[in-house]
Formats: sequence, structure tokens, C-alpha cells
Amino acid sequence: MTLTREQEHTRTATVVTRVRDRARAAPARVAMREKDLGIWQEVTWADYWENVQLVAHALLALGVEPGDRVAVHSENRREWLYSDLGIVAVRGVTVGLYPTNPPAEVAYLLSHSGARILIAEDQEQVDKALEVAGRCPDLERIVYVEPRGIRGHYRDPRLMHWDELLQIGAAHREEQPDAVERRMAATRSGDVATLIYTSGTTGPPKGVMLTVGNIEYAVRVLVEGGGFASPPPSQEDLALSYLPLCHVAERAFTVWFNAAAGVQVNFAESIETVQANLREVQPTILFGVPRIWEKVLAGVEIRLESASPLKRATARFWLRVADRIGDELVRTGGAHTPLTRTLYAIGWVFCYRALRERLGMRRVRYAASGAAPIAPAVLKFFMGIGVAMHELYGMSENTAVATGNRPGRIKLGTVGEPHEGVELRIDEMTGEILTRHPGTFAGYWRDPHATAEVIDADGWLHTGDVGEWVEGTHIRITDRMKDIIITAGGKNIAPSEIENALKASPYIKEAVVIGDRRKYLTALIGIELDTVGEWARRRGLPYTTYRDLSDRPQVRELVQGVVDGVNGEFARAEQVKRFAMLPKELDHEDGELTATQKVKRSAITRLFADLVEGMYRER
Amino acid sequence: MTRMTGRTGDLEAVAEPPRADPAAPRARRPRGRPLLYTSYSQDMALLDTRAKKVWLALLLGVAILSSGLPDDLLILLAGGYVAAIGAIGLNIVTGYAGQVSLGHAFFVAVGAYAAAALSGDPEGRVIGFGITNMIVWLPAAGLVAALAGVLVAPLAARLRGLYLAVVTLGLVFLGEHVFKEWDDLTGGPGVGRPAAVPELFGFRFDVDSALGTRAQSLYMLMLVLLVVFAVAARNLARSRIGRAFSAIRDRDIAAEVIGVPLTRYKTLAFAISSFYAGCAGALMYTITGFFDPGSFNLLMSVQFIAMILIGGVATVSGAVAGALFITLLPRLTQELPALLPFVSGDTTQTPNVFQIQVALYGLLIVLFLVFEPRGLFGLWVRVRAYWKSWPFSY
Repeated sequence: MTLTREQEHTRTATVVTRVRDRARAAPARVAMREKDLGIWQEVTWADYWENVQLVAHALLALGVEPGDRVAVHSENRREWLYSDLGIVAVRGVTVGLYPTNPPAEVAYLLSHSGARILIAEDQEQVDKALEVAGRCPDLERIVYVEPRGIRGHYRDPRLMHWDELLQIGAAHREEQPDAVERRMAATRSGDVATLIYTSGTTGPPKGVMLTVGNIEYAVRVLVEGGGFASPPPSQEDLALSYLPLCHVAERAFTVWFNAAAGVQVNFAESIETVQANLREVQPTILFGVPRIWEKVLAGVEIRLESASPLKRATARFWLRVADRIGDELVRTGGAHTPLTRTLYAIGWVFCYRALRERLGMRRVRYAASGAAPIAPAVLKFFMGIGVAMHELYGMSENTAVATGNRPGRIKLGTVGEPHEGVELRIDEMTGEILTRHPGTFAGYWRDPHATAEVIDADGWLHTGDVGEWVEGTHIRITDRMKDIIITAGGKNIAPSEIENALKASPYIKEAVVIGDRRKYLTALIGIELDTVGEWARRRGLPYTTYRDLSDRPQVRELVQGVVDGVNGEFARAEQVKRFAMLPKELDHEDGELTATQKVKRSAITRLFADLVEGMYRER
Repeated sequence: MTRMTGRTGDLEAVAEPPRADPAAPRARRPRGRPLLYTSYSQDMALLDTRAKKVWLALLLGVAILSSGLPDDLLILLAGGYVAAIGAIGLNIVTGYAGQVSLGHAFFVAVGAYAAAALSGDPEGRVIGFGITNMIVWLPAAGLVAALAGVLVAPLAARLRGLYLAVVTLGLVFLGEHVFKEWDDLTGGPGVGRPAAVPELFGFRFDVDSALGTRAQSLYMLMLVLLVVFAVAARNLARSRIGRAFSAIRDRDIAAEVIGVPLTRYKTLAFAISSFYAGCAGALMYTITGFFDPGSFNLLMSVQFIAMILIGGVATVSGAVAGALFITLLPRLTQELPALLPFVSGDTTQTPNVFQIQVALYGLLIVLFLVFEPRGLFGLWVRVRAYWKSWPFSY
């Protein structure tokens, strides 16, 4: 048994050793696919491991020492994984940058992390890095993956093409064939493997240090223990990778699922083509953030509106049935009763099979929503049409290990039960959720002060989320602690609940509820251009721009209808008394959203102060 | 827009590391994911979906089982299959390559006479060489017709649209005249000559045998040949040549700009199309056994045009459907007097079935062009799209 001998001299298991072992056990199986020139190019485990080794050797040749940071600034693609694993193999630290990060944030992330090498996807990312290179003294080398527009045009000595990197790696391997294995063997579970920069809704992003041990713990709980997909994933499963890999959730669903369980990863071409790629890939495990699920739901609405009458009537009927099935599933926790099973079987023939096929969810056996709160109505829709939907909870600081809904024990509106072996309690005083387990992060990078604020002396991680127990087993999150609104009347209100109820409407993309130290609640509302545009088109309502459409009195009426509907579900003090339309689509580049598309509340209230004040002025 | 990170277009292949196991099958794909193409050959496969395989198997099964039909119907269907071969040929030049040709009847005639002359009785009244084996005269007929096509092609390469249509129309008149006058070959108008003998290594298809009646033998022969020709045409359409044809059809100038040699491909289109026409011509009259030079007139060209317009331009299955439809139409109109008492089966009375038949051609062409330019195949596409897009409309 060669494997056991290898494992002896590499004492600590990492994602890298897992990939290596897979490459030896099943070299010809497919590890990942990426669509290139119209074809899903397959990468076998042997190819994967070969590339990881070459990158690792190249990094050694470039002088990367244990603990050195290497940044990756790219969309999801094969090279992201090769780089990540190559970096971890040589005991470096992977720093992921969001592809949408504007130059100013790139400068901050590169200089704060002190990255020595940057692996940039293409000209766009290289330009950002070169623009701010003066502020990043540690940056020695920029490796670009796509040569278009760079090779032959740029003369910067720091630039290097990906192929060159692999060649350096190959040359280094010729000279020292076992250098990488030796470096891997020295890996300790306390080694920092990656810095995950928090999205930073307030203040600059903080770098969460996750160690090899943290990740191994997360792999055991989330992947092997079925915390993120139950029953646990296997090599028969397919996943679509489309959310930024620098986020802990996508890292778990792509890199860790792939390495630990052999899940075949398929890279979407871009976030815009997710719908089409979903149809092609028909994944079995699908993770999405609320925005994605809301968009899918809105897409169903738009396309049904413009369907022929017979199709529309049929689909509407079966979606009403799905709603009933969803209600029943919510009651039972996700387990079918004979009645729902029969209804679903009939509906499957008429609607659900085709609908799921079109959505790319025909074969989804486990779907999950996380990373932000989501309206229960959205989850119920997916449960109704037969997509097993589970809300999860976790954060970078605890390696995404906290709670998750389990099949058959789902409680809608909660984030589920603590995973096996996770200590979780709710602070009696503040209501804050605290977790403690081996996945708790090693601290914020170069910020011991902030680290001390969130990890207390007993090792409890203060999540910053306010929550409560539901029936003693499940956790319901009220809101982020710092987002809780205390009105002038002294009432505590969780804005995200109201916001999500608003966003569950296909017409509303963004909703920001305001009311801290005010007499009543107001909201800034941004419309969903696709759906409202379609709605306006069918009514013969002409419009030019987003702003023009938002300002139409008819659109205001439409939104008023949604707001009134939502108000009906809440107590008087929690009702939105007035709202204003956002004049533009919120954007990461303009500093209104974080890289993960979360609204920066403080920035919004500052940027649209006149709108907010207008809502509180006496009429 | 910040996302300018398209990945296509970068043709410089990233150096792939050597594969660990070169024998490993590369073109796999996960089960039940018909849209997940992992190689170009899957993307271009002849029968790329299971539905197509099932449909084809069903249709072939029905066609083979149909050999149990009454003999007169079998003869009619066999004629339809031959017409379909001709229609597929016209579809290659007019449908795929977009070169309107009204001269199809001429190429059919060239093929018919080439085959008849080759297999004819050397001692007979008209030219004959006595080579009765089909394996010789069928390809030869096609090649002679293709040669005629190549001779015409230089004209076609210089002309477009209406001008090309008129030139090819001239071809029909020219051919009609030559064939009427060349009595040694054609037997002369009103007399005609015997057609090619459908014999393959001693087996005669045009007489009753141990394997079945004459009609059954001919029916099976034509069915097999149609399948061969249709598959060849489908393969051609998805090949480099087929793509070049489509490029020329869509915009010849654009095609030339992207590097499609216009003259060569237009010549090729005429040659292949004429080859099909020649083979169809050679086979067509083996069923009746006798033919007259007056048959190859403008009406025949128009009938072929009607077949591909009604069936579906630039589709092989459409051409087959159109050919069968047009061939079976007379038979259907003959049933009319039983259904509609005011329609007479007698030519001396008005309205009679023959008048209605002629009027129907025109009417059907007009209706299809107005309401469904993609023909019968277009109707099928609509039905398919309706169910494929369920529960949405797009």
C-alpha cells in the first residue's frame, strides 16, 4: 500500500493530500469541467494533481516560504483551484480577491495582506494591480492567466504568463522532484492556509485567518458529516461553481467538496450565464445566495407572464398546487405525506419536471441557501416544486461551521440545527449567537485587537448575529446585531426580515429599511429592472432608463402595492410608513454594495441622505 | 461594465500537461444531461438527442412494415422515395447553398438517359451499352449529371437570385429541345425508350421473385437507397462543406470575407445536387420501365421546388416529407369525388380532380410561403418548440 506510506510522511491531511490521493486512486475520473470554446473541457484528477504540483514547484522556484501570502484575483476557473492548492501545498497562504473589487480595494487587500505574488486572471485584473502596485511594496510578481491584451503590450518586468509559471514549475521539478512533497510533509494543522477577507459592510475588510486544521474540521463536519449536503456528497455528484471563490461558502462547495468527496465541479462561464449553464450541467448539489434564488423566482414570473394562455394557466394551477405542497412540507419539516407525494407525482408530469429542467434543477438533490437571510416564501416555492431546499448558517470566522437544516427536519425561517459537535449558545444579555468548535478561526490578519473583540477568553466566537432558539433545536436569526433598529418609540426592530419580505416580490431587487432613532420606519426601494421593465412593456408604458422607470407613478403604485402587502404581515410599529425609490442600481464599484452584493447600510444612508430626510419631513 | 472577462477568442492553447492515462475515454458525459457537451463530436452528432434516435427508428420501422401494403400503393411510395432523392438534391443547392435552381428537371433527364443508355439493349432501336448492373449505371448516371452541373456552375457562380433562376430555366428549355430531337438516344417525343434495368448482380428488382412481388422489391430498393442518400446529405450538411454552403446562402460576400471560396463551393453545390438529380432520374423510370423526352419539362422542376418549399427548405427530412406529400397528392385528390359530390372524376367536366390537383399545388405553395415558410418541417419545429419550452413560451 503506497498510500499509507505516503500518508505516514505527510502527517497532516490537507485538501492537497486529498487531491493527491484521489489522483492516485482514480486518475482518469473527471474532477472538474470548464466551458471553453463551446465545449465543457474535462480535467481528470491526474491532470488536476499534475497542475497543482507544477504550480507548487513554480512557487518554490519563486522563493515562496511558509506563511507567505499569494493572492488570486480571478473568476472561478480551473487555474483558481490549481493556484489555491499549489499555494497550500508549499504552506503559503491563499488570499482571494473578488473579481469585482475596484482598484482601491485591490490596493488595500494586496498591501494589507502583504501578498508577494498575485495570480490575476486577465488584462482587467492586471490593470488594477499595476495601477496600485506602487502602494503594494511586497508585490513582486503578477502572473496572468489570459494573455490577451497583455502579451506583447505590457513591458512590466513583474509580469509573467501562466504557461511560464508552469514551465518554471516543470524545470524546478526536474531538479528537485521531491521538494513539494517535503514541504507538504512539514505542514502543521496550525498553518494558516487562507485569508478570507470579510465583505466589510462597516469599515475596511478584515482578513480572516483559516488554518489547515480549521479547514480539515470544516471538511469533516460539512462535507463528510453531511452538514452542507445530506446524504454526504460523493463523486457521482455534480456542482456548479459560480459564486466568488474568495467567499468561504463557495470555497466550501467548490474546493472542499471537490477535494474531500470527489464532487465534479463545473465552472460557469460567468454570473450572467448561470441560468444557461445550470440547464447544461443539471447539478445535483446547488448552493445559492438569496439574490440568486430571488432572481430565479423572478425569472419564472416574467416568463410565465409572457407564456401562451394555455401554458400560463397550466403552470399557474400547478404552482398553486406547489404552494400547497410547500405549505405541507413546511409543516412536516420537508418529509412528504402520501397526499403531497400524489399531488407532486401528477404535477411532475404536467409542470414540475419541465419547470425544473428549464431552471437547471431537475437533478438537484440538495439545494442550499446561505450567506445572507432569505424570505421564507422564496424557499417554500422551491420546496413546492420539489427542489430540496435547506437554509444554512455559518461565517468565515467559524469556517462556515454553525448550523444547517437537515432533510426531513427543516424549519422554515430558521437556519437549522447546530452541526454535530458544534457548541452553540445564545448570550442571555445580548441575544448574540456564540459558537465554539475547532473551526473557530485563528484571528484577524494583523489585527489582534479586532480578534480579541470576537473571540472571548473561553474560546467562544461572537458572531455578531442576534438569534433565538425555536423549539429548543433550531436557531432563528433575528438580524445582524449592529443592524437592529431602535425606533424613537424604543422598539427593537430587525430590518432584514422586513427587507427580505419586500425582496421576495419579483419586482423589488433592493430594499433598505431605515428608522433608527426615528418616529417610524421608511424604506429605500430599488426595482428589479428586468421584471418591472417587462411589466411596463406589457402595459405599454414607455421608459428610457432605470431612473426614468423608477420615477413613473405607475411603478410607484406597483411598489406601493407590494409594500402594503408586506405591511399586512407585520405589527404596526414594524410597518413601512413611507418609501422612496432608489434612482440607480446599487453597485459594488460605487461603494454601495460589498463584493458579496450586500448593501452597505451606512453608505446608503449617507449617499441618499436627501431621499431619507425627505421621507421624514412633514408633508 | 466591469465584466469584460470573456474567455472565448483566446486561441492560444494553454500548454496541457501530459495526460496520465491516454487510453482513458475522453468523450464521456454524465448521464441524463443532453446539453452538456464534452467534445465537438457530441455537439455535431447526427442524432444528437435520444428523441431523434427514437423517432428515426420508429419511422424506419413503419416504412419497412409498409412493404405489406397493396402493390399499387407500394409503387406510388417507391416513386415518392425516388422523388425524395431528387428533392434532397435540389435542397442541397437551393436550400443549403441558397442558389435558386429551376433546372433540376434537366439534370434528372441527363441522369435518366445516361442510365438508360448504359443499361440499354445494344441491339435495340436506341443507343444502349448493355451494362445492366445497377452498381455501374447508378453512379455513372449521377456522375454524368454532376458533370453537367459542373459545366453549368461557372454561370451560376457569376449570377445570383433571379438571374440564376432564369438561366437555369433556360437550361430546361435547352434540354427539352435536345432530348426531343436526339431520337437515337431518347426514341423521340411520343415514342420514348426503355428505362434502365434495375438489376444487381443478377437479381432483378422489376420482376416478381422469391423474395416478394415486383412492387415489394422496388419499394425496398428505393427505401434503402433513399436512406443512403438522405444520411449522406445530412452528413454533408454538418460537415465543413455544409457549413460553407450555409455561409454562402446567408450572405455570400460575408462568406467570402471569412474565407469561403465562392466559386469552388458553388460549383460543388451544383455538382452534388446534380449527382442526386441524376441518380433520381436513373431510378425514377425503372419503376414504369419506359419514358418519354417530354417528361422533363418546367412542370417537373416546379414540382421539385414545390417539394422542398412545402417540405421545408434546408432540411433533409423536410425534403423527404415534401416529396412524399407531392407524390401522394394525386392519389388523395382522386378520393375527392367520393367525399365532395360536386367534384368530378371525369376530365370533361368542371370542376374535376385534375384541375383541383393543379390548383392545389399553387395554393399550397402560396399558403406555405405566407404562413409557414419553413414548410412541413417548420410545422414540426413549431410543435416541438411548443413542448420543449413548456411551461414557458421561450
